[in-house]
Amino acid sequence: MACREYRLSRRTMIGATSASILGFSIRDLLAFSGQDHSAKAEHVILFWNGGGMSHLDTWDPKPGRPTQGEFNPISTSVPGMQISEIFPKLSKQMHHAALVRSIAGTQGAHGRATYNVQTSYLPSTNLRHPGVGSVVVHELDNNSDLPPYITISGQARRAGYLGQRCEAYYVAAPGEKDPYLAFPQGIGQVRGDRRLEELAKMNKRFAVKKEDARLTSTQTSIDDAVRLMRSPALEAFELDKIDAKTLARYGDTNFGRGALMAKRLVEKGVRFVQINRGGFDTHSNNFTAMANHGEVMDPALASLIEDLSETGMLEKTMVIMLSEFGRTPRINDNAGRDHWAPVFSGFMAGGGIKGGQVIGSSDEDGFMPKDRPVQVADINASMCHALGIDHEKEVMTPLLRPMKLVDNGSPIMELFS
Amino acid sequence: MNRIVVIGLAVAGMMFANNSLIGETIDNVLKTENTQLGVSRSSVGFVDDMAFIRRASVDLIGRIPDLVEVHEFQSWPVATRREQLLDKLIAHPRFADRWTVFFADLLRLRSAADGGAALVAHVHRAISEDQPYNELASALISTNGKAGRSPEVGFLLGDNAEPMAMASVTSQVFLGVRISCAQCHNHPFDVWTRRDFYAMAAYFGKTRRFQSNFTRVVYTSETDQTSIKWPPEDEAETSERRFLKPSFPFPLIAADEHPEFITRYESLLAAKAAQLAQAENAAPSLNDLLSDADDKVKAATSKGVDAGVAEAAAEISKIDVTGSLYRRSEYREQLAAHITSPRNRLFAESFVNRVWKKMVGRGFVEPVDDFRGDNPASHPETLAFLADEFVAHGYSFKSLVKMIALSDVYQQKQAPYGVDTIEQEALEVAFLANPMRRMISESLYDSIVTAGHLFGVKHSPGQNERVYQEQIRVLLKDGEGKAVGLGDAVATADVQNLAGETPAKAMENQNSQMKNNSGGAYRLEEAIELDFDALLMQDDEVSLDKMVAKSAEELEAERMAMQRPTKARPGMKYQTKTVTRTVDDNPRFSSSLRMATPAREGHFVRVFGQPSRADLGEKRDDTPTMRQSLMMLNGRLTHEASRVGDLEPVHTLLVGAKPQLVKAITLAYHEIYTRNPTAAEIQAGQQIITEAANVKAGFADLRWIMLNSNEFRFIP
Repeated sequence: MACREYRLSRRTMIGATSASILGFSIRDLLAFSGQDHSAKAEHVILFWNGGGMSHLDTWDPKPGRPTQGEFNPISTSVPGMQISEIFPKLSKQMHHAALVRSIAGTQGAHGRATYNVQTSYLPSTNLRHPGVGSVVVHELDNNSDLPPYITISGQARRAGYLGQRCEAYYVAAPGEKDPYLAFPQGIGQVRGDRRLEELAKMNKRFAVKKEDARLTSTQTSIDDAVRLMRSPALEAFELDKIDAKTLARYGDTNFGRGALMAKRLVEKGVRFVQINRGGFDTHSNNFTAMANHGEVMDPALASLIEDLSETGMLEKTMVIMLSEFGRTPRINDNAGRDHWAPVFSGFMAGGGIKGGQVIGSSDEDGFMPKDRPVQVADINASMCHALGIDHEKEVMTPLLRPMKLVDNGSPIMELFS
Repeated sequence: MNRIVVIGLAVAGMMFANNSLIGETIDNVLKTENTQLGVSRSSVGFVDDMAFIRRASVDLIGRIPDLVEVHEFQSWPVATRREQLLDKLIAHPRFADRWTVFFADLLRLRSAADGGAALVAHVHRAISEDQPYNELASALISTNGKAGRSPEVGFLLGDNAEPMAMASVTSQVFLGVRISCAQCHNHPFDVWTRRDFYAMAAYFGKTRRFQSNFTRVVYTSETDQTSIKWPPEDEAETSERRFLKPSFPFPLIAADEHPEFITRYESLLAAKAAQLAQAENAAPSLNDLLSDADDKVKAATSKGVDAGVAEAAAEISKIDVTGSLYRRSEYREQLAAHITSPRNRLFAESFVNRVWKKMVGRGFVEPVDDFRGDNPASHPETLAFLADEFVAHGYSFKSLVKMIALSDVYQQKQAPYGVDTIEQEALEVAFLANPMRRMISESLYDSIVTAGHLFGVKHSPGQNERVYQEQIRVLLKDGEGKAVGLGDAVATADVQNLAGETPAKAMENQNSQMKNNSGGAYRLEEAIELDFDALLMQDDEVSLDKMVAKSAEELEAERMAMQRPTKARPGMKYQTKTVTRTVDDNPRFSSSLRMATPAREGHFVRVFGQPSRADLGEKRDDTPTMRQSLMMLNGRLTHEASRVGDLEPVHTLLVGAKPQLVKAITLAYHEIYTRNPTAAEIQAGQQIITEAANVKAGFADLRWIMLNSNEFRFIP
């Protein structure tokens, strides 16, 4: 079960009745009936680039324009599609990816914009909306021993009214040991297991004196924890056995290790992995900073796409890179770019997304959307669509106010085919 | 404002305890009402003394009792010991710590918000001094001023002084009415209209949040023009919209009615005033302070002193609530008067209902913030009685807690084993049995610390020496390839270990709690206490902004984190060296009740349900999660609480040729469960201990099991 607390999703309701009918899986049946035709995605890997990543120096270069800056565009594996030269390795994988170059943001302050892109809602003084990761795990079953929603190298948006069970499991630094996944230091396996056994007995004795569903659910949560501690899937968190060559391909950086861990996590069934990276608020020395970011991001992202596509996992895993806004086409006196929300870009690949295409465009200097403006909520709606989640479904807040999963967006249908 | 002296409440408290004035008790009223409701069941009976001291200690001071407290309790006469205990607990310094959490949830206190830390400290002091709840609430609603300096203004700043938000917040928090839906449409479940909502918002219409461009100081003050217009934007053209005057949509008892409890309240006020007048060097009342302040400001202004200078004058500093920079809000003073009026039944009823729910486990009205016509109280007479007594006794919070804790209902057992859920529900609805409650996260944390003897040190020095190796980065001198001496390097902070600490800092921290908690790995289980008194210092040297919400240790930790060398500086050469250090890792833990609040995400107390307090109506979650179990099973807190220290009482029973296991197990049951073990439990305990590698390890296993068990976390 995922973390739903209010209503059963369509998928669960059907799933609960029978896992398959006449040997066809539910997914197949839905596909035949045309309802779920584009729900190919089962997992999401979200790269969250905090600070507002320059669209002009990444996905939307403006060669020959005064706003171009210091980077040249390079050709990619897709004829006619150019990206910034800071992504030499990734340029060879672009046939898997779609770029959305016309996201029309409305928020120019970090906090509000981050909230907006991550939740699709605007902040409200006394209601907190859930992040898209929480929405996803609220709607989809957890098929793994691992927590369904994991955030790496930073906190994810909270689950808000979707409840504590939809919060992300936090991994401070990929590859670093999480002390809570094993018995405390000095407690060996045999002793630890014996403790657990005696604890279960103790709880059982207590339950004979008192009766309450909550006593049972404490024990269930202990059983869940122990299952995780004992799960072979935990190895997905461990990077020390990865060969040096693979680590080097991803770039032996926190970001690279995060991407590698994300790949291993989705392979174990984790639904939603968010990898956080900051440092994109380049008010000064934009080009030095972006060159450094490129060096770190390029090998990681390129290797991730390549590896996922080789194993076929890319078909059911959406890889998406977002930031809260873009940056000013005008280059300021400190060789920096400032906040720019009216138009910015997003990178999406896998999970049913048709690769090698560009959705929308900005004007010649990257100031405003030109073709097919995309609203922020459309990105969230597209993610839901790819996963077969009804983005207009309503859930109840604690005050019984019905809230849609996504704030009035509509999926960008051209992304899928 | 926070210096209000409460006189006469001690008298009120005594009267409240036995209700001798009217000869009626909450239990009698409830009994009568149950009869009227046709309830034929009877109470399941009372908990025994041991369960009572555990229940009352957890509820009133936020942790289980220690053995000294239990023995003292047992030494008191049977007939009076429960009341004696309650008096002791209510006077305990931890009483205010524990109930600050309750108020923090109610008022959505966040120490990191503008003025938030000072507000937490202010509320803590109000509880500690038993400031009447109506006075506390009134000031929260009406105060304008500077964040931190006027602590109450933190309440308004928590929602950016936004009128629409404040209309919802004020109604829901102080009156238990969810009017917020009426912001966008006429209320679907109730009588409140959009116009009511807007009229409520209009009380806040002239109030603004300001921030000084120079000092970054945040404050609130009044403007001349309200921002609230009627009809709403989506209902009318701009030209048709008119400024709206505030009006109070909630019912008040008519002025020509004189219910007994109001008469009693008024005579209490009169008695207090008389006492004040008599008292030598009587401290001025709030109103005196306010009017006094008014005069001083007027005087200052007439002399041509501008507000900025006036503010700097020490004399004015404590009364700038009314200074001209921070203009008084007449609207909000009217609102505060309406809301906290004894004629406003919702104010007292919604509050006593919340406290009752917290202590008994079930409110008369559920959910506690949803008072409305078609969601009536299960026992309206009993609720009204409790509310009336609360008012008649001067809105004394301590007296209210005592009254509830002394009631038969509070002292009842839970439904017996074997009754079906329908019967259990019926008993609980009629308050004839009490629902099972889990400790709140802070109490759970502090109870583990108590049971594990971790507030103090339980190991002799040297018992916990830990040798560990770490890598440090050493600066090489230009061109020489030779390591800088350690001493020099410390001075220039160029030697740093990979955790971002300079060796000097690491040494300094050796005995500090941070180091004891093994640096980063277990930070989610640390509790760093705030100094509430410092947060309320009216000294200009102390800035009460967000920074102070963090303790010195936290700031130091942040500073160190900032210094972490992510990249070698260009032109400098470094060498990595491995050094060996020995640290006496003797664990100590502090109270989670006094931490910056809410704790960071992922912290023990958050994982166990402390709310973020961002949303209105956000509940404390008391459901179990996997993450909770991971923290309890594998965390440092339970691990250290279980380990046996040579300085704790049980140690002598466990060492030597013939360990006294029965005594040791009995002691564990007393300390951890506040009860005697059964014969079977002693046997089971002996088996656990003897099967372990050694006696101490076995005893640690037993304690670990008990601390992780349901019996520990659920209140008896």
